[in-house]
Amino acid sequence: MRRLRRYAIPFVAWMAVFIVVPTLILLFLSFSDYSLYDGGPFAFTFARFEIFAAPLVLTAIGNSVALAGATTAACFLIGYPVALYLSHLPEKTGKILMSLLIVPLWSNMLLRIVAWEKVFTPDSFFTDLTGLSIDLLGSKTAILVGMVAMYLPFMVFPIYSVLEKLDRGLVEAARDLGADDAQVFLRVIFPLSAGGVLSGVIMTLLPALTSFVLPARLGLGRVPLIGNVIESKLMKEVLGSSGRSINEGALVSLSLMVLSIVLYILATRFDREGETLL
Amino acid sequence: MAKTLITLSGIEKSFDGVKVLSDFNLSIDENEFITLLGPSGCGKTTCLRIIGGFETPDAGTVAIDGRIVNDLEPNQRQINTCFQRYALFPHLDVFENVAFGLRIRKVEKAEIVRRVEETLRLVKLEGYGPRAVSTLSGGQQQRVAIARAIVNRPKVLLLDEPLGALDLKLRQEMQYELKEMQRTLGITFVYVTHDQEEALTMSDKIVVMNQGRILQVGTPEDVYNEPKNRFVANFIGESNIFEGVMREDYLVSFCGREFKCVDRGFAADEPVDVVIRPEDFDFVPPSKAKIVGVVDSLVFRGVHYEINVIVEGREYTIHTTKTRSIGDRVGLAVDPSLIHVMKRDVHA
Ligand SMILES: Nc1ncnc2c1ncn2[C@@H]1O[C@H](COP(=O)(O)OP(=O)(O)OP(=O)(O)O)[C@@H](O)[C@H]1O
Ligand SMILES: [Mg+2]
Repeated sequence: MRRLRRYAIPFVAWMAVFIVVPTLILLFLSFSDYSLYDGGPFAFTFARFEIFAAPLVLTAIGNSVALAGATTAACFLIGYPVALYLSHLPEKTGKILMSLLIVPLWSNMLLRIVAWEKVFTPDSFFTDLTGLSIDLLGSKTAILVGMVAMYLPFMVFPIYSVLEKLDRGLVEAARDLGADDAQVFLRVIFPLSAGGVLSGVIMTLLPALTSFVLPARLGLGRVPLIGNVIESKLMKEVLGSSGRSINEGALVSLSLMVLSIVLYILATRFDREGETLL
Repeated sequence: MAKTLITLSGIEKSFDGVKVLSDFNLSIDENEFITLLGPSGCGKTTCLRIIGGFETPDAGTVAIDGRIVNDLEPNQRQINTCFQRYALFPHLDVFENVAFGLRIRKVEKAEIVRRVEETLRLVKLEGYGPRAVSTLSGGQQQRVAIARAIVNRPKVLLLDEPLGALDLKLRQEMQYELKEMQRTLGITFVYVTHDQEEALTMSDKIVVMNQGRILQVGTPEDVYNEPKNRFVANFIGESNIFEGVMREDYLVSFCGREFKCVDRGFAADEPVDVVIRPEDFDFVPPSKAKIVGVVDSLVFRGVHYEINVIVEGREYTIHTTKTRSIGDRVGLAVDPSLIHVMKRDVHA
């Protein structure tokens, strides 16, 4: 064991440089009025928290939560039956179909977003191809559809891996005790897959909450989200505007991180068997 | 005459082209304790699963109460099963596992508590209600599986080696409880076991199986005293089996000697198998005996001694309360009524 430790050094170093250090910088910026570009004395302050009272930020948080919630709910409603169906197929067929769901994830995300852009633009080549002219670009619907398509595999996969391992004997035992299909599902299959559902929810909810490229492109920036707030706060500073906007951006960013960690811990608490991906 | 409750007629079942049950015919009476007995892999579990509705036979019919139920789902049959692999619900505690069937049937809450607790007491798991099933020992899990099935008081109870994981004392107590329940509640038990002693003590009827076929159906006395062939004789109890020839009615020849017997109805000089149970031999003075041999080994077995006697190069096993020493010359005698002659069987 001891000798193996040194092989971990590159990764530990990587983590230190690119995760721990930036996090410390975020912390530093969030609780001070230190200006990244102008320099100046460091003074500890909670003043940055005022940003959470700004109407735009409040709207963005509301939008983000609503959108992420809707995405997660839609992914669950669509994904659970898919996972259930795949788990009933012979093991090989199920695995093959599952990988069909996963392979698209390997293609560039931006590419997939641009593809959706075309789908939602009237008279694009999508119209030439299919004869359908859809004008949804810039709407919440467009963002939602794009997000669901993007995150669906993350919902299906953990649920599938739990259901696939589920002991068929338990279903038989429930039927033996008189349960019909609905009762077998509600009393045995669903409770036993709850861990997978929780993993799926976390794996969908967290990225959905923080995504900004997809909403920016498919929503044409008309729907402000937390991700966009962070981006614009940071960009403003880069573009030389005054104020302490980078500090505010850092605080929002840090808050999201804390929220993610809290959700993650809650999830692992409930999912102690570790049967899922987390 | 008892009423027939379950009839299996002409059941055939194969898995991946391998025959697991062939030409399986069996009728089970109401409130009967019937035991399927046979070596591992002979199709006992498959037979239970067909009765329970978890497997569909390739051919043949299953009738319950005179009604053919081939197309009925397991949840539509008034049958409960105690599974060989327990199949307890890991997300429910002991109480909820046992209560599962009652909750499905929407039994009243207080009644559920009463019956679950009564059943847990019966399987000696009083106070285990709140425990997670994963924290139980194998034998405790097995008893939860029994409780989960019997709490529903079904018409038919299928039990697949339900006492296999229990120690001797607990096993005997549970045997008694199960038998008692079958008698008092009027439940029909279809029971699977490897343990021939358990089968003999508990059953009204024993079905001896091998390789997916029924070799003999009968009361414990029947299959023990009148085994139909070499396999049954060997599987139930210990036996001395000799190849012999039926000279004429009431006269059989084996080991180069002729013996009076009580069997008849064979062709003249028909080759037969002859069974003599180890406890049916008596020691007599060598001068008066037809069979004379030398004691080869002697083992104390508690109730009796097991003595092996070599007679002309063949080994005879004898159970007796009398003791002899190794090397003693002994004479053996057997009462004609305890010589059992069987037809040679192709399936044995
Ligand atoms: N689902 C299945 N698929 C393929 N083969 C099966 C299946 N179920 C049972 N078999 C085979 O059928 C035969 C009989 O199995 P079964 O479980 O009925 O035996 P058993 O008499 O209950 O044995 P044991 O005493 O070991 O429990 C075995 O050879 C087994 O491998
Ligand atoms: Mg079995």
